[in-house]
Amino acid sequence: MIKGRFDDENLKWIPVLIIVVFLFPFLLKSATFSYKYYLYILNIAGIYIILTVGLDILSGFTGLMSLGHAAFLAIGAYTSAILVDQVGLPFELSLIITPIIVGLFGFVIGFPALRIEGMYLGLTTMGFGFIVKRLIIAFREWTGGSGGLHVSKATFFGITINNDWDNYFMIYTFAILAIIIARRIVKSKLGRAFMAIRDSEQAAQASGINLAKYKMMSFFISGMFAGFAGVLFAHTSHFISTDHFDILLSILFIVMVLVGGVGSIYGAVLGTLFIVLMENMFIPLFEDGMSQFVHLEAGDFQVFIFGLIMLIFIIFQPLGLYGMWLKTRIYWKIFPFNPRKRFT
Amino acid sequence: MGNLKIKNLHMHFSGVRALDDVSFGVNEGEIFSLIGPNGSGKSTLFNCINGFCKPQQGSMIYNNINLKSIKPHEIVKKGISRTFQNLQNVPYMTLLENVLLGAHRRLTVQDTINRWLSQKEREREESLALEIMDFLGIANFEKKYLSGQPYGIQKLAEIARALICKPKLILMDEPAAGMNDQETLEIAKIITEIRDILGITVLVVEHDMKLVMSISDQICVLDSGKILALGKPDEVKNHPDVIKVFLGDEAHA
Repeated sequence: MIKGRFDDENLKWIPVLIIVVFLFPFLLKSATFSYKYYLYILNIAGIYIILTVGLDILSGFTGLMSLGHAAFLAIGAYTSAILVDQVGLPFELSLIITPIIVGLFGFVIGFPALRIEGMYLGLTTMGFGFIVKRLIIAFREWTGGSGGLHVSKATFFGITINNDWDNYFMIYTFAILAIIIARRIVKSKLGRAFMAIRDSEQAAQASGINLAKYKMMSFFISGMFAGFAGVLFAHTSHFISTDHFDILLSILFIVMVLVGGVGSIYGAVLGTLFIVLMENMFIPLFEDGMSQFVHLEAGDFQVFIFGLIMLIFIIFQPLGLYGMWLKTRIYWKIFPFNPRKRFT
Repeated sequence: MGNLKIKNLHMHFSGVRALDDVSFGVNEGEIFSLIGPNGSGKSTLFNCINGFCKPQQGSMIYNNINLKSIKPHEIVKKGISRTFQNLQNVPYMTLLENVLLGAHRRLTVQDTINRWLSQKEREREESLALEIMDFLGIANFEKKYLSGQPYGIQKLAEIARALICKPKLILMDEPAAGMNDQETLEIAKIITEIRDILGITVLVVEHDMKLVMSISDQICVLDSGKILALGKPDEVKNHPDVIKVFLGDEAHA
């Protein structure tokens, strides 16, 4: 029997990786006392992974820039909070309804994408982010305004998700699902259509792809992923306010996708893990050292480092972390016979 | 009259008259060549047929369907597909995926879901693509990413993508541009095979006179939007106006 021609990658290690993901908290618990803090960081990374995978479908595969994904996350979080706490829907139902609602928001934002592209679309979506933030403050009766909103704990089919330990398993189950679904999307007819729109609109049209339909669909799918992330965000952090969904976060998402490698789902995952771990674990270390010499506001140093990382990646490694991994893999495949100066 | 009928087509971009009263017919099972100097409106004509440009006047009838009112992405449903002059491939997809892109319209949602669930479905979908790639002689490149592949392969990938739509009429925009003599001969062979074996009508824009004269059934010479000559290769070759346009005044004498 012929093996699938599409997936030239080896799928055998994926179950192993999934087992490692689920065994990791146990490992962490036995290794350190402050494992809860690390789990908390990993949970944030897991939520962001769901979102960046969706963003990668939109920005990496369809080539439509979005600087409004923090807003999609916010809509998802607030919608779920309102649906569960104020309307009284069960959490499981909110997991299905909220992504669709956020997807529809994405659909609406997709309209300008039919006419404008590139930086202008980025600015439009950025504007959308500001509007959403103002609207959340304006609808104070439901959202609690700028004071923020307390969200109840998630109950998943009778199991109450109490702490970061439980959150980890819930979030990473969904993250793995999101990655699998995203890869299925990307490797299907839909993904081919998205990539054709990115690289050549004319060829896409000549092959019978309706540009408007597929651009909107890309926004819809991306919005759904972001909405899903939003639901998890609201019910695992238990408190949301407009400060969580800054424009800086949108930019950070783009940085995650860029650093990971534009146009590859695994790249988005790697980039997200890289940036979140950098943000929470390595930068604070440097920051303490640096603040002895330079006066720094909170957050300044972060932005500086992320800007630097992005520049370095764009200049020296445009394919991102995933591209680096691919190169090393090729290097070891042909190991003793490497041509010289090929991989420097 | 022909299968594709173009009547009194006018197309101008503000001041520039790209097409001026162009009318001809393409019969079924024919290789019809469009030639002419740069800027004579050949590509514009293709874009009009393909729906990228909307001509101001005139009509284009294909199998009793008026092409003027059809959107670009629906043209392929009517059995017309095209290749492009400058490569319009997706570099970060494998050749097989690029070819499958052309089959987009035929794959339904049901197919996609089946494909996700079973391996067999996937193979069935790919078999036609591989058959066409085999026909063009690029089947051994199926797994290669198109970025970094030789120009000839990329050109053939375009043709494969156009063929997998199962068209009745294929528009080829300079299939032999940038090819050497050997490759041009292969292209000529492929074009005639597309017509003879697959039974597809071919409308081709080409600058290589040797190629055009050897394969065409009919030739239409355009110059600044107007038709200079229309007919069999021998008639066109000896047409005084054509010689004047292509070789200059002195050569005529």
